Amino acid sequence: MTTVTVENINYKEEIRRKTSKPLMWMGIVSIIMFFGGLTSAVIVSQGGGSFLSIEMPFSFTISTFVIILSSLAFHVGLISINKGSYTIAKISVLITLLLGCLFVVTQYMGWVALYESGVYATGNQSTQESSFIYLLTALHVVHLIGGLVSLIVVLVKTMKQKYSLDNSLGMQVSITYWHFLGGLWIFLFFFLRYTIA
Amino acid sequence: MSTHHHHAKDFLFTYIFSTDHKMISKQFLVTGFLMGFLGLIMSTLFRLQLGWPGESFEMIEMLMGSWQEGGVMSPDKYLALVTMHGTIMVFFLLTAGLSGTFSNLLIPLQIGARDMASGFLNMLSYWFFFISCMLMLASLFVEGGAASAGWTIYPPLSALPEAIPGSGAGMTLWLVSMSIFIVSSLLGSLNYIVTIFNLRTKGMSMTRLPLTIWAFLLTAILGVLSFPVLLAAALLLVFDRSFGTSFYLSDIYIGGQVLDHTGGSPILFEHLFWFLGHPEVYIVLLPALGITSEIISTMSRKPIFGYRAMIGSMMAIAFLSFIVWGHHMFLTGMNPFLGSVFTFTTLLIAIPSAVKVFNYLTTLWKGNIVFTPATMFSVGLVSTFISGGVTGLILGNSALDINVHDTYFVVGHFHIVMGLSAIFGMFAGVYHWFPKLFGRMMNNKLGNIHFWITIVCAYGVFFPMHFLGFAGVPRRYYTNSEFPMFNEMIDINVFISICAIIALVGQLVFFFNFVYSAFRGPRAPQNPWKGNTLEWTAPVEHFHGNWYGEIPAVYRWPYDYSKVNAAGEYVYGEDYIPQTTPLGDDEKDGGEH
Ligand code: HEM
Ligand SMILES: [Cu+2]
Repeated sequence: MTTVTVENINYKEEIRRKTSKPLMWMGIVSIIMFFGGLTSAVIVSQGGGSFLSIEMPFSFTISTFVIILSSLAFHVGLISINKGSYTIAKISVLITLLLGCLFVVTQYMGWVALYESGVYATGNQSTQESSFIYLLTALHVVHLIGGLVSLIVVLVKTMKQKYSLDNSLGMQVSITYWHFLGGLWIFLFFFLRYTIA
Repeated sequence: MSTHHHHAKDFLFTYIFSTDHKMISKQFLVTGFLMGFLGLIMSTLFRLQLGWPGESFEMIEMLMGSWQEGGVMSPDKYLALVTMHGTIMVFFLLTAGLSGTFSNLLIPLQIGARDMASGFLNMLSYWFFFISCMLMLASLFVEGGAASAGWTIYPPLSALPEAIPGSGAGMTLWLVSMSIFIVSSLLGSLNYIVTIFNLRTKGMSMTRLPLTIWAFLLTAILGVLSFPVLLAAALLLVFDRSFGTSFYLSDIYIGGQVLDHTGGSPILFEHLFWFLGHPEVYIVLLPALGITSEIISTMSRKPIFGYRAMIGSMMAIAFLSFIVWGHHMFLTGMNPFLGSVFTFTTLLIAIPSAVKVFNYLTTLWKGNIVFTPATMFSVGLVSTFISGGVTGLILGNSALDINVHDTYFVVGHFHIVMGLSAIFGMFAGVYHWFPKLFGRMMNNKLGNIHFWITIVCAYGVFFPMHFLGFAGVPRRYYTNSEFPMFNEMIDINVFISICAIIALVGQLVFFFNFVYSAFRGPRAPQNPWKGNTLEWTAPVEHFHGNWYGEIPAVYRWPYDYSKVNAAGEYVYGEDYIPQTTPLGDDEKDGGEH
């Protein structure tokens, strides 16, 4: 078989431009279905009737504010890229990243608080509801770590001034995911409040 | 020296870590077929046990060693092989093998794109698939043997490592393998959807898409919506198995010991599993239906009858497939009212299915049919889709299902409607697009021999299973000879097993034809079947980018076959008009109405 190249056509770049965002959106749909499956499992299990209620740790409320702030900061970053002010952009992305890490810390504090109050994830003292509360929050954090990695990439690219008004696709994709993670947390927060906690 | 190095690198990126959709398609095809062949051999092995229970097959002991001690398969191995057979056939052959091959090959070529949305994710998708194949096969060799809880891996057998031998390391590997498989499948599906929505060539509106593409699109959407739920189910299972949670477990004794688990319910698993499981049967079936639509229209030299109805019925099937999962659970103590709701939604699927069958038959009706192996297998699919679909009406009815649930009636039903239909569609696709895949033609005579052996033996295997099922013979049993009333039916089982063995031999004809033609077949012309779709406008040789120069634009739907003008002459002198031919002044686009 001979290898022939298609000359004069830079189609790879065009494909990337047309499909990066839709790919992200489809990825988000599958994550939604994943959490949809798990939250349905909570509801089906609850149908058994023996669900106990658990006190939601206060630091989860802090998490909620932290993640909302981080989304705002990221947005400021994108706006400043569009305006060409890299300094503000850099600071905003850095703040987003720090707030993202702070979110993970507050989640961890939440788990510690749960553990201290005798709510266990596994073992014979755990119940379904106690397992679910750890599992759902932890899986959200797992997805969030993907977001943090993308934030680091965006931060480096911002530092190197790789983005501009008409070239910020990577950043936009990252923002989409980050907002989604924020939304997902808010959903989980209220879902857990009204089912388990 | 340096050129040599360059060659090695070329080889690596052309054949192994290729990001070109055509090469990835071939990788999926070959891997899928090899897995399918193993699955087929497994089924023949356990058919030996079912046809001649307890009899010794020494020849097989030579091959299988301790798995077949004294030539007789042990009950443990029987369960493991049934589970592996089901898993391999459903997921590895008919999900990854079928979609992976044809979505990859045809989406870019038929919509007029240079490649998939992301070649890199596409490559990852294949390699995840490959790793999951290897892990699944490796699980045959671990202590305790492969997973043995059936392809549906219901807890508690799947949740308690100590339950049966196959619940140990084999089950763990099954779960790891399937998780990787799900990731592979999702990466593929994301790519297919985004490619279809965003990379169509000029003029390729949604109502000018070939029905193959519509089928692949809906299949991918089903995948994105249902596979994550299976991942969630598997994850909860992993926690129950390894970390002491109780999502699916409660009040269990093993060897007189009470286990710690309380509060969970295996029914939760069934809900989650079948929320994937039912759409999964359409993930398997829809691509085959799409392939058939395309082939039947091309080969009967007639426009597909009811193009829009075909799209509509596929959409209806895809939608309904999400609200019928309860029909697998009628016997879980479900509220009878809920059961009747699931009965209702299930029976509704008969309507779009009947529309499709009607359209296939009307397309063939009075057509100028060209009989190729692809045509034969497509018509074979229509046949199995009908005869398997009819028994679905019985199973979908909660009152009737009680009598045949978990019997061989079910095994007969799903093999015909899903197994045979999908594999026939896959064979049809391979015969039809072989020239596109390998630039050479397959041998028609061998293809026809393969078809007749396959369809006769396949009905020979699966049709009599309905009678076993009516008599109450349960599925997944190692032997039925202990039950006098079932033992009387041994002749049926012997007949089935003989058909299964001949079917296996028949597939060797196909494999020979496939391999021989790939290297030695006659060179293919650019458009061997006189088709209208875009893939036949692309050069026979493969290169990254698919078309030299501009991608062709599209001006009409793909089914303008035998179009005549008022004087009764072919409009452009031929009985086909490629999609790249502009519409004449007095012509209407077929997809618009
Ligand atoms: C000639 C080829 C085949 C033969 C002879 C065959 C035979 C069988 C038999 C006898 C069983 C039931 C075993 C038992 O319940 O004890 C079985 C199970 C199964 N087969 Fe096949 N089969 C074939 C091809 C296929 C294909 C193409 C598919 C793809 C859908 C498939 C999917 C399954 C599944 C999902 C099960 C259920 C496994 C389980 O119970 O967990 N088979 N097969
Ligand atoms: Cu179903």
